[in-house]
Amino acid sequence: MKTLQSDIRTSKLRYQNAVMLMLLLILSVIVLLSASFGAFHIPVAAVIGIFKSQLGIDSHVFTDAQAQVLLNIRMPRILMAMLIGGGLGLAGAALQGLFRNPLVEPGLIGVSAGGAFFAVLFIVFGSSLVVMSPLFSLIGLPLFAFLGGLLVTMCVYKIASNSGKTDISVLILAGVAINALMGALIGLVLFYADDAALRNFTFWSLGDLGGSNWSKLGIGSLLIIPAIGMILKLYPELNAMALGENEAYHIGVNIQKVKYTLFLSSALIVGTAVSMSGTIGFVGLVVPHLIRLGFGADHRLVLPGSFLLGAILLSGADLLARNIVRPAELPIGIITALLGAPFFIYLILNFKKINY
Amino acid sequence: MLQGINIHFCISDKPIIGEASVKLFPGQFTAIIGPNGAGKSTLFKLLSGDLTCSRGNILYNGRPIQKYRSKELAQIRAVMPQHTVLSFPFSAWEVVELGSLNAPREISQQDIQDVMERLQIWHLRDRKYSLLSGGEKQRIQLARVLIQIWKNQPFPRYLLLDEPISSMDVSLQHLVLAMLNDLKDRNIGVLAVLHDLGLVANYADQVIMMKAGSIAFQGNLSEVYNSKNLEKLFGYPIQVKNHESGMGVMVHSLPYHYINHTIKQAQ
Repeated sequence: MKTLQSDIRTSKLRYQNAVMLMLLLILSVIVLLSASFGAFHIPVAAVIGIFKSQLGIDSHVFTDAQAQVLLNIRMPRILMAMLIGGGLGLAGAALQGLFRNPLVEPGLIGVSAGGAFFAVLFIVFGSSLVVMSPLFSLIGLPLFAFLGGLLVTMCVYKIASNSGKTDISVLILAGVAINALMGALIGLVLFYADDAALRNFTFWSLGDLGGSNWSKLGIGSLLIIPAIGMILKLYPELNAMALGENEAYHIGVNIQKVKYTLFLSSALIVGTAVSMSGTIGFVGLVVPHLIRLGFGADHRLVLPGSFLLGAILLSGADLLARNIVRPAELPIGIITALLGAPFFIYLILNFKKINY
Repeated sequence: MLQGINIHFCISDKPIIGEASVKLFPGQFTAIIGPNGAGKSTLFKLLSGDLTCSRGNILYNGRPIQKYRSKELAQIRAVMPQHTVLSFPFSAWEVVELGSLNAPREISQQDIQDVMERLQIWHLRDRKYSLLSGGEKQRIQLARVLIQIWKNQPFPRYLLLDEPISSMDVSLQHLVLAMLNDLKDRNIGVLAVLHDLGLVANYADQVIMMKAGSIAFQGNLSEVYNSKNLEKLFGYPIQVKNHESGMGVMVHSLPYHYINHTIKQAQ
């Protein structure tokens, strides 16, 4: 009995590691399946062969065409799905921790719309900036989307929280208002757009993951991965904040610093994601919830777990999107919304019963 | 010493606390009492650092509270607010363990177990916090703040509690107050907002009696805690006397129907 009791921490750690390992395994399976299935079928054995040859191990079970498709088209897209899905899952967990509410999601509270509005601003009016520096054409869109996301996050926080307590109905209503406002502003900006900008916008808004390539992935990871690192480090502070902002301050958390780090990093993730793949809803809502429901509320697991499950969910959704209407593709946002919206309704119905 | 010097606090020009000075000594149990709306919780929040005074100063061991970083402050004082609502489904153990977040020295599992066992909540460790009863939640929160200052330190420390035992049954109230009294030996000053005048009489060393945003009386219990002052404080006849068994002090407030007449006359 004594040994059992004296091992709470170790056994918890072991449990969390097991969960992470399981998620990693599922993710690897999804990656293999994603690499294999699509408009152009590549047998799993060939996929493994191509990976092996990339590592310098001789393997001749694949054709050149297969290697070309996998390495230049499919892999960047799979990795992009993982990056964005994982990022959105993690950003959802971070925002839920920040707002101290499990119903918060970047899309619902308007962060994605804010990012989209600024992205459109850049598409329509940013051409002069692009002339100034060619680097800006690569990084300008995600940067603007990040600014928009950041602005909206801070606005919504100011509107909905009062001395550290967030009223969820005010928060959701603020989200409705901001979504409407951003929609109107996007319309207004498009009104002034020239033909080239309009074409650019249409191309971007239909974006999803189809346009992924290595350079886009490179920029995406450059922006998203540091933000992921910043959030992952904050698990003790997020745990403390679950008690309340005052309580967290009492146990020594520098609330302002944590808050602004979370604003910044989640806006960076969501903004970049929006600029790379359009608004993909509900991942940030569903994923942290499932992790908490299944494995408890400790952010040491919730944060990395949300990243992995988000990556699983979005690359899984992308796998479906590419294969349901093969050889055509469904926009991935349709699939996440089809999965996420009913789940959201379920959450609303059970919000009182779940009783956090 | 935890000192509040000429504290003044306004909300939109309406004074909630007007000119109060308090002293909290390490190794002593100080109770704050007073009628509803007297400003007890506001004073408490000013002392804990949740609110900043409009005028005046709060000093922890001689140093102004604004000069501390939150991490340093967390090693000098622990705070238990009146209500704590968790936003996520943490277990009781996880909540208690949060107290060790910024502890200067390693808090072992055994320390946590000791505290939880003394508060009779060890058996609740795997339960979800949100599903516990009011009294159980209070003991979990108390365990959390105790863990924060559990390890001895070379400087005086303070434990601030806002109505820490309001949901507990009588035996637990005595258990907790006795446990808080034990902390005095560790150079910890305990400050608690309390409502039960009888418990104050038997456990506190010092008392701060608040009325209408200022301090009506404060000092050693033996000096200020008497029938006359309590009656003035609450505007209600209250008697303080030694229990006939010789064990402790009794505080008795007369049932309303016995005094109805006198109150009406006084008005």
